[in-house]
Amino acid sequence: MSMIDAVPLSWVLTLAAILFCIGLFGVIVRRSLIGVLFGVELMLNAVNINLIAFWRYLEPNLVAGQVFALFIITIAAAEAAVGLAMVIAVYRTRRTIVADDMRNLQG
Amino acid sequence: MNRTIVISQILVIEQAPGWLVAALNHAIIAGVLLIGGAITMMLQVWVERRLIARMQDRLGPNRVGPEGILQSIADGIKMFTKEDIIPRAADRWVHLLAPIVALAPIAMMLAVLPWGRGLVAVDLEVGVLYIAAVSSISGVGLMMAGWGSRNTFALLGAMRSIAQLIAYEIPLIIALLGIVLLTGGMSLARMPELQAGIPLFGSSIPGAPDLGLGWFIFTPVGLLGGIIFFICALAEGERTPFDIPEADSEIVAGYMTEYSGMKFAVFYIAQYLLNFALAVLSAVVFLGGWQGPGVAWLADAGLGAAASLLSLLWLLLKAWGLFMLMVVIRAAVPRLRVDQLMSFAWKYLLPLALVNVASAALWVGLTEWSSIEWGNLLPVDGLAPWQRIGVAALVTAVINLGATRWVLRINRAPAAAPVVVPA
Amino acid sequence: MVTVIFIAIASLIIASAVLVVISREIVRAALWLIATFFAVGALYLLLEAEFIGVAQVLVYVGAVSILILFAIMLTRQHERHEPAWRAGPWWIALAGVIGLAAVLITTIGAVPWRLTDDDLPVSRAPQLGTALMREYLLPFQLAAIVLLVALIGAVVIAMEERRRRTPTLADDIAAQRGAADRAEDGTP
Repeated sequence: MSMIDAVPLSWVLTLAAILFCIGLFGVIVRRSLIGVLFGVELMLNAVNINLIAFWRYLEPNLVAGQVFALFIITIAAAEAAVGLAMVIAVYRTRRTIVADDMRNLQG
Repeated sequence: MNRTIVISQILVIEQAPGWLVAALNHAIIAGVLLIGGAITMMLQVWVERRLIARMQDRLGPNRVGPEGILQSIADGIKMFTKEDIIPRAADRWVHLLAPIVALAPIAMMLAVLPWGRGLVAVDLEVGVLYIAAVSSISGVGLMMAGWGSRNTFALLGAMRSIAQLIAYEIPLIIALLGIVLLTGGMSLARMPELQAGIPLFGSSIPGAPDLGLGWFIFTPVGLLGGIIFFICALAEGERTPFDIPEADSEIVAGYMTEYSGMKFAVFYIAQYLLNFALAVLSAVVFLGGWQGPGVAWLADAGLGAAASLLSLLWLLLKAWGLFMLMVVIRAAVPRLRVDQLMSFAWKYLLPLALVNVASAALWVGLTEWSSIEWGNLLPVDGLAPWQRIGVAALVTAVINLGATRWVLRINRAPAAAPVVVPA
Repeated sequence: MVTVIFIAIASLIIASAVLVVISREIVRAALWLIATFFAVGALYLLLEAEFIGVAQVLVYVGAVSILILFAIMLTRQHERHEPAWRAGPWWIALAGVIGLAAVLITTIGAVPWRLTDDDLPVSRAPQLGTALMREYLLPFQLAAIVLLVALIGAVVIAMEERRRRTPTLADDIAAQRGAADRAEDGTP
């Protein structure tokens, strides 16, 4: 028995929506830059779940959904690498990675 | 071949619901693999200790059981009874979970390896990628161990070990990629099937006997790929000369510093099982897996079970041979420095692996494409399959040899500069 | 049976994601994040997207999480129990996020999805590879360039200039150790 017979699409989409909202909450409330990145990763994963669910439930014969998910994984890896490099660079100059402490441009 | 039916007939549970049969089926296979893995690990430790002892002109463990073969069981019992020490500052849960996270992925690797003719637990379509993905999980376990112990040596050892694992994972995967190009798929179960026939030419010559020796190691692409893969497997399995993560004389025991008793034993099991799984993987991908003289003959004679048994024997023989090679290397080669380790991965193995992928693509082009796909530039259609393989072998051999010479030449160390001691 | 597996995976995803957000200690949060990635990979397998599931484990669990752990180790402050959240009124954020979730879920419930027939063949890794080499060749190449640029960019951004080098945690500990040793020896 495959997944599409047993679980309705809306359940998967709801799961993705909840995951997205948790990630968004993390982005908003986390103090450290790395914590903010965690939230972003969760949101990207939620998007990917949506893409794969749409692919499987709506158009399993086309590969577009999988290709999109693959590109998102690629971009997420690049984003994590650059983001974490920036976190390390910031830490090196300021000895902190707390987002609230970075207010030089606020005057 | 359909094991679900076979097992349900053996157990006479035809009335049982389908999911129960499936669950039992998987449980039995998983049990066989895990128990086999544990026994293999004990034998490995014994073989390694005896062999190293031989090479160092000692006897090694020879008291418990005949020739000391039960020494590992005695050691295991000793480990069980040791006190489980957790440092006061450690993160208890992370400290506890780390060995499990390190071992579990290695046990998961065993599932997709083809152990013999028709003996594969899960035939995954993306098997090669699965192996790469799963083996990279154990790095998380090492990091957890290093961080959870809250010990500088452990953390340093974990960081060294991760840097090494990542650096060597890249050429390892790229070396596999060449073979994936040759076989046209990532299924590990199919790889041995494609290595039948005679050396180099496989089954391409009509009328030639099926000796089961068409191993990829006999092709130029497979030879270079196999050497790169084996070196990377040494590094992934943290064997000498790449055992920097746990260099006991430098950083105590790396990420295992704060582990004792059963948790230490689990790390130990993980390491040996990883070595064995990598040896089996090398055998499957490059040394023909379960192929060997006699398997095809037995299968043709209608003795399917005997053929499977012989094929299992061949695979275990190759895997143990590779493991013993690892042990001999450990006894013969000194440990590398960290910078040597890194430059070896990035300056030698990675370029060679990339060239090897290009060779593999050329091989596929020369052996499988038609003249039209070559844009009518190469009249390959007129050649018989074995002639095309011969041409491809010649071309790729020249490329791979040239690349190896080139990499060795450009990396030759300049004349040693005088060491300036800072004032 | 599949329903049970789905519910188990879904609850694992949500529980570990919540723990990612609320964990006080950043390393704990990172470990929960790895658990989330792994569970999402399992969900992909359940959805018969084998390649994406394995790629998820390879990229996220094998690479991104290691990167994250390295970044944490390199930037960890010495005081361990600082507040994880911002000082501001976090409940406003919580209310907003719950509102967004409510809107999303009601929308999902309201849309009549045109589900596929069961007969359609499910595209697998070979079809995916073919598509990447044909229809999606340009995006594929662009993704490769993006990765290369990100690689070089990350190295350049994070590269340490010897001159401006500030001590890392390991340096600090080594300095403390050295000071302690000197104190024991009685030499200044």
